[in-house]
Amino acid sequence: MINFTSFRLNNGLKILVHQDTSSPLIAMNLLYIVGSRDEDPEKTGLAHLTEHLMFSGSVNIPEYDRPLQLAGGENNAFTNNDITNYYLTVPSENIETGFWLESDRMLGLDFSQRNLDIQKNVVTEEFRQRYLNQPYGDALLILRPLAYNVHPYRWPTIGRDISHIQGITLSDVRNFFFSHYSPNNAILSLTGNITPERAYELAEKWFGPIPERSIPPGNIPAEPVQESERRLVVKKEVPSDALYMAWHTGPRKSTDFFSLDLLTDLLAGGESGRLYTELVRKQNLFSEINAYITSDLDPGLIVLYGKLMKDTGIEDAEKAVNELIDRLKEEDPGQDEFEKVKNKFESSTVLLNTSILNKAMNLGFNELLGDPDLINREVENYRSVEKKTLKEAVRKYLINDNCTTLYYLSSRIN
Amino acid sequence: MSSPERIQPPVFPFEPRILTPVRSLHLDSGIPVFLIEAGTEEIMRTEFIFRAGSLKETVPLVSSTVNLMLTEGSENYTSEEINSILDYYGVFSNFFSGKDTAGMIMYFPNKQIEKVSELAYEILFRPLFPGKELSRLMKKRFRWHQVRMEKVQNLAMDQFFESIFGPQHPYGRQVKDIDFENITSGLLKEFHEKYYSKADMAVIISGRIHSETINLLNKFFGRIGTENTYIENPAFKIAGDARKNIKIDKQGALQAAVRIGSSTITRTDPDYPGLKFLNSLLGGYFGSRLMKNIREEKGFTYGIHSGVSSLGLSGFKLISTEVGIENINQAIEEIYKEIRLLQTEPVKPDEIEIVRNYMSGELVRMFDGPFALAESFKAVWEFGLDFSYYKRLAETVKTITPDEIMRLAQAYYKIDDLYEIIAG
Repeated sequence: MINFTSFRLNNGLKILVHQDTSSPLIAMNLLYIVGSRDEDPEKTGLAHLTEHLMFSGSVNIPEYDRPLQLAGGENNAFTNNDITNYYLTVPSENIETGFWLESDRMLGLDFSQRNLDIQKNVVTEEFRQRYLNQPYGDALLILRPLAYNVHPYRWPTIGRDISHIQGITLSDVRNFFFSHYSPNNAILSLTGNITPERAYELAEKWFGPIPERSIPPGNIPAEPVQESERRLVVKKEVPSDALYMAWHTGPRKSTDFFSLDLLTDLLAGGESGRLYTELVRKQNLFSEINAYITSDLDPGLIVLYGKLMKDTGIEDAEKAVNELIDRLKEEDPGQDEFEKVKNKFESSTVLLNTSILNKAMNLGFNELLGDPDLINREVENYRSVEKKTLKEAVRKYLINDNCTTLYYLSSRIN
Repeated sequence: MSSPERIQPPVFPFEPRILTPVRSLHLDSGIPVFLIEAGTEEIMRTEFIFRAGSLKETVPLVSSTVNLMLTEGSENYTSEEINSILDYYGVFSNFFSGKDTAGMIMYFPNKQIEKVSELAYEILFRPLFPGKELSRLMKKRFRWHQVRMEKVQNLAMDQFFESIFGPQHPYGRQVKDIDFENITSGLLKEFHEKYYSKADMAVIISGRIHSETINLLNKFFGRIGTENTYIENPAFKIAGDARKNIKIDKQGALQAAVRIGSSTITRTDPDYPGLKFLNSLLGGYFGSRLMKNIREEKGFTYGIHSGVSSLGLSGFKLISTEVGIENINQAIEEIYKEIRLLQTEPVKPDEIEIVRNYMSGELVRMFDGPFALAESFKAVWEFGLDFSYYKRLAETVKTITPDEIMRLAQAYYKIDDLYEIIAG
């Protein structure tokens, strides 16, 4: 049970505090409700580039990292489709330094042309390192715009193309910042060696004076229901053929999400998952195979991907995957197997709660979903999924007409 | 709306709490067990660690294959049963094999201690290494290997170890395609019998430890006999390559992986804590000189890192980065420039203070919670040290002087001794 206190400042900033005196540290997580979904389709990568610039100086502080390191702290951040999340841990003695730093960059950034130019280059190198200079690194860059026609999830957070990143101007960053970085568009969560009273006092002092800003409406187009299967074949300089398949899911807040998440655990959770057991161990078709569900706020995807063994034909591989999925539409999973995925979920939840930083991130994200106390009901929600509902979810979502398939083939002759 | 004075709050001193809450005892069979009682959740971490890394192998890939085959069937369970049962009981297991050690870590709800202990015994001491599973695994591993060798990071890293430790030494030997065809069940059984032995292993347990833990460990691990307690140390000589610069071509690469470094002292050396400090300053944290210069000022890379690590027989220091092909030479030049600066100009007190506080903060994090404690303990146990190592490190962090930093830079970062590997 994670006890927490929540309150809201007059400027709209939501704050959650969970006291855990077993740690000498405090974790501070600041979630901004802005992600790559909020970008102009012709200027993608802006949300992530803005995240980089959040470290390059704010109104009163020339450099973010230095004072935090002096206080014994450590920090990082990530951007995804829906959110930009900043986090730090610091010895509890020095938590006020964290408030000072985070509130100052919410107040405003340095917006220097020089820093923008440097970070554009850093992000370009990140793009190359993570997506272009890795075998199969661009697979999701190819898959997304096939699976989505209109929703901004069709481009990746890093950006659609390096030219987009290079084209971003200082005024793009400034407009983006003031349209989305605001106390009324953020969730602050604190865990560790701190009382709610102390958190309130510091939050009032440092974040209280920051004015509320008006957030333009998102107007994000809903993705129309996919009505027929989509396919693409690419050939690349890679050592073996790979198969990628993606199915649209329901929204994050629907109860179908729990069923589908359990389904991916059943398929790909650990060594005993069905995909690995059947297709790697028994049938020897793949050298590796995996599946996951994206936890996007809007309807996301179940993504399945695997690399083929030398003698496997790609059509046979796909057929084997489909047969495995079709079986789940007809037969209930065994009782032990069904219990197994629920037990595993429970134990992963407990494991995550051993870290104050994970607890802070989870509280913030659950607040975004509408109720931070979901963190305490998660296990129960997964426990209450029935075999019947799981089967219905497979029948509803994992069908051909809802599927996008990518054959990522090796151009080498071997 | 009134605005507060937005001035920097004071920084208060904080002390890493380097406690030694490690209780040690022996099972009836003599196996040492270390218990670290801490945490708020009903979960435990149990690590079984053996000196069964690649250092012990005479045939490449044997050590890692033994480790990967542990769950492929035991005397009482098939591989499918082992994996399903582990998952059913909510166990997260992590099998590892490195240059010195190999073993298994399990995280699990503490109420499952009995089943977990039984399975751990089956997995670690009664594996069968069936031939059919082995041949499938080796085919898979070969595919993984082919993908691995497409990445410039791996090409550069493997060459780096070969260059600094020598192509014959297990620390430096590179895996070749043919190696995947030479593994037999017999070789695995022989290696397992010799090195997954109670003679040189430890069990490190942390978390909310179940009260029956020791009784149950004794039930399964307490009667392992005294036979096969012979630990053989194959004689290999570390011999670095005479060629300091090696370029590996990778057609079509957009970035090159750069690795610069050499072998160095181990964790047991009195200079090691000071070297750790110097390394942080050079490239060990986000505010380090290399990050500042090569990422934050020049934008050449997404990241550059320098590290000092220790293996049993040798330490090594390593600067690593991926840079755009067009910036390779400039980036390398800047790396050497930063090293020379550390050798010739005393570090200013304010920079020392940042590194000092950053590293003290790291020490706090290394002792925060049961699992971090277990990791920190393992890192010293391997070298026959205890937590007093961290006290020495904390003391060095607190007291190191600019002169001492310069001395260490001159002694351990001689530019002519450094290897330079580029893959791209």
